[in-house]
Amino acid sequence: MTHSKTITLTVNGKAVTAAVEPRTHLADFLRERQLLTGTHLGCEHGVCGACTILIDGEPARSCITLAVACDGHAVTTVEGLDGDPVAADLREAFSTEHGLQCGFCTPGMLVSARDVVLRRPTADDNQIRVEMSGNLCRCTGYVGIVNAIRRVLDARKTAAE
Amino acid sequence: MAHASGVGARVRRKEDERLLRGRGRFVGDIALPGMKELAFVRSPVAHARIRGVDIPEEHRAAVFIWADLAMDGVKPIRAVSGLPGFKASEQPALADGKVRFVGEPVAVCIAATRAEAEDIAAQVFVDVEELPVNADMLEAVKPGAPRVHEHWSDNVFLETNVGGAIAEIAATAPVKVTRTIRTARQCMVPLEGKGVVAHWDRHVEQLVLTTATQMPHIVRAGLSECLGLDQGLIRVVAPDVGGGFGWKGLLQPEEVVAGWLARHLDHPVRWTEDRREHLVAAANCREHHYEITAYADERGRLLGLEADAWVDAGAYSVYPFSACLEAAQVGSILPGPYDFRHYRCRTFSVCTNKPPIVPYRGVARTGVCFAMEQMIDAVAEAVGREPWEVRLENLVPPDKMPFDNVTKKHFDSGDYPESVRRAVAAIELDGWRARQTRGEPDGRLIGVGVATYCEQSAHGTAVYYGWGIPMVPGHEQAQARITPDGGLELRVGVQSHGQSMETTFAQVAHEVLGIELARIKLVHGDTALTPYSTGTWGSRSMVMAGGAVATACRTLAERVLRIGAHLLQGRPEDARLVDGCVRVGQASIPIRDIAHTWYRAPQLLPPDVDRGGLETTCGYKPKSDHGTFSYATHAVAVAVDPELGSVEILDYVVVEDAGTMVNPMVVDGQIYGGVAQGIGTALYERMPYDDEGQPLASTFMDYLIPGFTEVPHVRILHMMTPSPYTEFGVKGIGEGGAIAPPAALCNAINDALRPLGARVTDSPMTPERIIAAIHDASTSAAASTAEATR
Ligand code: FES
Ligand code: FES
Repeated sequence: MTHSKTITLTVNGKAVTAAVEPRTHLADFLRERQLLTGTHLGCEHGVCGACTILIDGEPARSCITLAVACDGHAVTTVEGLDGDPVAADLREAFSTEHGLQCGFCTPGMLVSARDVVLRRPTADDNQIRVEMSGNLCRCTGYVGIVNAIRRVLDARKTAAE
Repeated sequence: MAHASGVGARVRRKEDERLLRGRGRFVGDIALPGMKELAFVRSPVAHARIRGVDIPEEHRAAVFIWADLAMDGVKPIRAVSGLPGFKASEQPALADGKVRFVGEPVAVCIAATRAEAEDIAAQVFVDVEELPVNADMLEAVKPGAPRVHEHWSDNVFLETNVGGAIAEIAATAPVKVTRTIRTARQCMVPLEGKGVVAHWDRHVEQLVLTTATQMPHIVRAGLSECLGLDQGLIRVVAPDVGGGFGWKGLLQPEEVVAGWLARHLDHPVRWTEDRREHLVAAANCREHHYEITAYADERGRLLGLEADAWVDAGAYSVYPFSACLEAAQVGSILPGPYDFRHYRCRTFSVCTNKPPIVPYRGVARTGVCFAMEQMIDAVAEAVGREPWEVRLENLVPPDKMPFDNVTKKHFDSGDYPESVRRAVAAIELDGWRARQTRGEPDGRLIGVGVATYCEQSAHGTAVYYGWGIPMVPGHEQAQARITPDGGLELRVGVQSHGQSMETTFAQVAHEVLGIELARIKLVHGDTALTPYSTGTWGSRSMVMAGGAVATACRTLAERVLRIGAHLLQGRPEDARLVDGCVRVGQASIPIRDIAHTWYRAPQLLPPDVDRGGLETTCGYKPKSDHGTFSYATHAVAVAVDPELGSVEILDYVVVEDAGTMVNPMVVDGQIYGGVAQGIGTALYERMPYDDEGQPLASTFMDYLIPGFTEVPHVRILHMMTPSPYTEFGVKGIGEGGAIAPPAALCNAINDALRPLGARVTDSPMTPERIIAAIHDASTSAAASTAEATR
């Protein structure tokens, strides 16, 4: 049995202190210990992107991030994006454009898509695809997801003009 | 009249809200008090006798093997086909004395967390005596090959022979082309793996198995057979399920083990398939091999087709579909959408030391279309015509519909040639041909490919009873109940795992009853709450369960009209349902008030009111039991780099006919997703095995599924020929997108390679294979030049 380490971090804006095994990855910690099951595991190899969350506002793979490495940091999961205005626009657009079917990849898609919207406001469809290429979906064929992100980018552009 | 949110409306999905907020509930999200986690010890070798399973003393109580289950009377999984000559296999949920593929479960370990269960699994040692391995199906059928099941006479689950005399055509046909064609073994890779939580519910005295499945009722039937428990003592629940594609359409050994453990230990257990387990133990579909010859006249009109086909069915026969469904299906559907007279096909379901085969989206059609459409292009090349013209020459024309083809498939409706004409126009073939002639500045080669198929979907009793497998679909049931406050509850035994049924079945009900979508609730995925169904497979749910929902709603509409007419003091025959209200002349009463009357003011009801009330369960079968036939033509333009072997998709068009579309947005989504999987099959996906039957891919770094940058923005054009046999004229469409891409892409790549004299015939068409084909062509060209100059 490995020795636990006590960590303190912020999860969706709330301070959390917990004893974790050094080998526990962040996704397991969030899902099993914090009961935040919106973060999904599609591979645990760092490839599919289903587990994408924000650490200090930056997207990261929670399946290849150890929970102990997040001591002192702020973690945001899909559940923490309920009130986020960009995420709200994306949720609306994903639904309108049928950007989800089974919904398993969706939390990771939203976190990555939000990052694209904020970081690449002028992205064309091709750039959206390149930026999103770290997330896999087995259901949608990606068309609805690209259209959803396109829709949000266009709306923000119009609003800014 | 179509309602604004009824059949045909592009409405947003009811299931989106929870999924977009991370509030879905998948198996892995379920934690029960005291729940323990399972990890399986799996076979490290493909074929061996088990000498023993060494369990460290301190973990004895935490590890179970087959003997433990057998002592309790647990039976192996048996999925026998009634087709003559089928050889039955027995698959114990944990290996019994022998292992037959890498990844086969041998023991199960239980602990408080998955990590701890895996720690124990790592200390369990399976002592094996290795046996010779059947890693390739063509080797496995040779005399003297080692037997996977030693009491069998050979390694063939089933041989089938379809059709007959073709010798005369073979001798006289002006054109004859022969090909050897192969498809790779694949994994289905739903993004959510399989998972199961099992517990014994002491209050209702039931085993409750919550599992990521497409067919809860069939899993219950299978569990009952294996565990020796009455079906009434088992409840199977499918919560949110993260994609299936066929992989969740079977009874899994792990489900049997979890169910037994929950009862045996009397506390909850959970198993979650991880990606490595999936890739290693569940590479279970699509591996076909064809030796195929087409005969034609000088215009490319098909005179006959002859083929031998082998399907690698793996080590065991899977419940409920059996090991022979896929190969036997090859025999019956290889002729595709074409009209020709002479046909002979022999198929073999071959037993090998690989994971057991499970039908993947499109089942045999993806392989069949890949073979048949290569043959059409080969004939076109032989007669010097455009491949699409040769398709037009051979497709069943609309004036012959409905049409019974050479294998007695009953094509219901549609205009197959028109789908080709539209696809060729939409891809703008002439433009690509001009560009081909000009040549590309970067040296890449342009190619255009076309593929057409028709897909039997929503197969009924007539199709399935002949297989004699553990499951034959009959009348599909749906329950409809108007609630006391005027809403509607629907209960269906099929299961939605991305297909959007919570929305589309509500649209069907809305079309009939006019109750608003927001007030219609679909209950599915629970044997305790829904009528029996064989589940979601074979593009059947909208046709079958959608038809049942419509039937149940019509029955309720009838009753509502009678009560409404009485309350409005009119005659039932004058009453109509309009926008959720019963109208008689100018008078009108909403369904809500009728519901109130039935439940809370029954004194106002007519004396002869239907005693069934506002609740009914109805069964449904389409007018023809032979399935609907949707069809499509896919056209694709590619650029092939002859130096790198890479393929870029420049444009992709789908012209399809799904009959009446209940929700066009959802239909499009199914096609986009299917095409993406088809592109994976065509260009990327393969589980390679070495000679010892070891799978050589175990992560997403070496098993490649297509991502954002590999899948183009597919363009979809609809033709809508309603099926004459179904409610609203719908046809099954869920699988179709995945069928044609490998064929269309193969034809496009070969069109590009033609100037080099090179050709690919096997999927996936990887850069290595394309380079090898170019290399082979240039070597043989050089050899024949040397020959000529000698
Ligand atoms: S689960 Fe983390 S990248 Fe796939
Ligand atoms: S919606 Fe199912 S994996 Fe993306």
